[in-house]
Formats: sequence, C-alpha cells, structure tokens
Amino acid sequence: MKMPPRVADLETSATISALGIVAPPAIHVTTDTFDGSLATLFGLVRAQKIDLLEVPLLPICEAYFEYLMQARDASLDEAAAALAALSFLLERKAWRLIPIPEVEPEPYEESEELGLPSIGEYHLAISALEVWHEARSGLFFRSPDAEFLPYEVPVVLANARGVDLARALERLLRRSIQTEMPDLSRARKSLAGEMSRVYARLGASWICLAELVGEFSRREDAVYGFLAILELLRLGDAELKIDGEEPVFRRGNRVISGNPIRDLSQ
Amino acid sequence: MNSVDVLHALLFVADAPAPVAALAKAADLTEGQVEQALEILEARLEDGGPLQLNRIAGGIHLSTKPEYAPVLARFVQPQKQRLSRSLLETLAVVAYQQPMTMGEIEQVRGVQSDYSVRVLLERRLLREVGRRESPGRPILYGTTEEFLHQFNMNSTADLPKIDPALAAAMPALEMAEAETA
Repeated sequence: MKMPPRVADLETSATISALGIVAPPAIHVTTDTFDGSLATLFGLVRAQKIDLLEVPLLPICEAYFEYLMQARDASLDEAAAALAALSFLLERKAWRLIPIPEVEPEPYEESEELGLPSIGEYHLAISALEVWHEARSGLFFRSPDAEFLPYEVPVVLANARGVDLARALERLLRRSIQTEMPDLSRARKSLAGEMSRVYARLGASWICLAELVGEFSRREDAVYGFLAILELLRLGDAELKIDGEEPVFRRGNRVISGNPIRDLSQ
Repeated sequence: MNSVDVLHALLFVADAPAPVAALAKAADLTEGQVEQALEILEARLEDGGPLQLNRIAGGIHLSTKPEYAPVLARFVQPQKQRLSRSLLETLAVVAYQQPMTMGEIEQVRGVQSDYSVRVLLERRLLREVGRRESPGRPILYGTTEEFLHQFNMNSTADLPKIDPALAAAMPALEMAEAETA
C-alpha cells in the first residue's frame, strides 16, 4: 500500500500555474491515504505521483463545501480556483473508473481466399446422418440397386442389354485358348488396328461374336475383339440385335464424310 | 378388392418410393383416401409380418423390418458403402445450404473438397443442379433423392435444426465424453 505523501516534501506553492489562475485556498484534506492540502493533492495527481483511485474524493468535496460555508467573505477567485482543482480531480478519477474495453485479437486467417471454417456448426447434423445411415443399412427395399443407369450403356443396343453382351463374351472366353500371361512390358496390341480388322469382317448379314472375333482364338484376342466391337457400336459403325439368346452384329449404316475405320487401317 | 389391399399391391411392386399422387392415380382414389388407407396399412404391417411402410424421399416405400436385417444380409450380401467423415461433412454442408458451389463448400469446411464432391457425385448422393450466374459460372451442387433414401429421410426438412450455441459447445462436450470414456 502506498504511504501517504508527506506534506513537507511537497510543493505548496501559492500559485497553480497549470490552471493559470490564482492559488486555491489552503483547504486541508484528511483521508486514509492522503493528508494535505487540496493544492498538494492536485499537484501530486498531475505529476502522477499518487494513484487517484486510492484517494476517496468524498471527504475532499465535503472539505470544499465546508470551506464555502465557513468563509463567506472568501475571495471568489480563490473559491473558483479550488473548484477548478476539485473538478480536475473528479474528472480524472471518473476517467480512471471507466472500464477499459479489452481489445479483441484479430481473427487468424489461414488464407486470403478461404474464410474461417464453420464446419463446427454441423457436428449435430453429421452425427445424425451417421446414425440414420447406420439405421438405414438395416432396411432392405425391393431391388434398390436395380435402377437403370443411363451412363452404364451410352449407346442404343436395340433389343439387347449389356448383360447379353457380357454373357456372349463369357461364352467366347470359355472356348478361347488359355495362354500365359503376356509380358506387360511388351508393346500392347492396337485397339484401332483391331477395330479395323473387326470392321472388315462386318457385312450386311448378321454374324455372332465368335465368328467376328474368331472361334478358338487366344483369350487376349477375344478380349481385344470384344472391345473393338463395343467401340464400333458406340461409333455407329456396327449394329447389334439379339437372335435367340445370341447377340449378332452387322456393319452399321452411319453416313459420314470419310470412314474413320478405313482411315485407321491406313 | 379394398383400397388398402390395392395400395399394398402397388407398393409391393414399386422399386422406388411412390408419391401419394402416383398411388392415387393408379388406384383411382383421392390423395386423402390414399393417406387414410396408408395409415391402416401401416398399422396392419406393424402388427405383424416382416414388412414395414416407410415415408422416404417424398414417397412411400415398403421395406423389411430392421430385425430381419441379419438374415437378409446373409442372403443378399449387400455391398456396404461406408461413408467417411469427410464425405459426411461435405454431404451435411450441402444438405443445409444447397445449392452451393465448390468454393462455398470449401469455405465452410476449410479444406479442399473436390475429391469428396466427386465421390458423392459418383454415389449419386449429390448432383449438379445448375450454375451460378457469377464470373466463371461455377457449378451448383445439391442433394439427390438417393441421398434422402440412403439416410431414411422424407425431405431435407427432416434434418436436425442447427443451434449455434449448442453447436459451438459440441467439440468441448465430445472431448469431455471421450475423456470420461
């Protein structure tokens, strides 16, 4: 705790130049933390040698009021000087009592483009979705995954389905010659070349996949032939229909300037 | 044939949620009559049998009851598609704020989200719903009926309301729960 300043050490000059007026009268103030004149207190506060928060101002105001009541013939200038000093102290203490707002730290931004993530708001929603998804997995619906996906077969296959082609390939692979796994570092067969070969075999009459690719061909050739006919179907250079259970093919009647297959074979 | 049996038959053959309007048209009933009949059918199914009636993705769909799941899973052997936390996050953000652009999704999540969006598009849980008329015309994404179906919701209005105060406290609560556990 600060000790009350000793009056003897303080300047008790007759004038208070800071106020630019005559010196205030010798109003004596006694509190728990300060004992001295009003002018002294004023000087100490201005010199920041005393913490005004520790000095109660009520006794000072009462002392000033008592002075006014007792010294009826006092100088008006001196009374005004005392009032000015007291006002200064009141104002200074009032400012000290006002709480200073805390400066909020600037929000940290990871990037200039991205704002602050607010994914935290979705915790409840994410938890709910997890629970619902788990509960839903216990329900079984009629053919929930049997929906036709247009992007699975992007071409018109007449009366055929993707599964018909797949079964035809399966049958062909069963009859094909098993060969050893080809060396993967070897140059692969050209699909464009295979398309040219298959296209050349296509005519106006319908033929099955085995005739097109070649019965008892190697497994690798069967797969390449199948991929070639798929690509020809996609381009419209081949047509497909189901004859009994077997898919059959013939040359397509796509009318374009120039034949891409012929160009590929050149 | 009474209307309840007719609706039961229609729902039996439906392989997707059937809107009430479509059921009413097929059964030659008013939508009010369909709703009444559905209530009776729902109660009848609850009383017994392996099926239940679900109001899902804006329609009515029959499913098996959850208690039959283990035996059905052994028979059907469904391919279970687990959704990772990042996919769920992306899905939740879009579900609440759709339609929104990739940039907006990334702004909310605070991380790059193109992979999550692509996977959700492939799984048909998100779809492109248009383009924003702003520079670059970015694609707008929204949820699908498949999303509602996969999460057993009738509409996105079924999503829980977000309480900002509670949401802010959630990480602390989860941490406290984890510590307790």
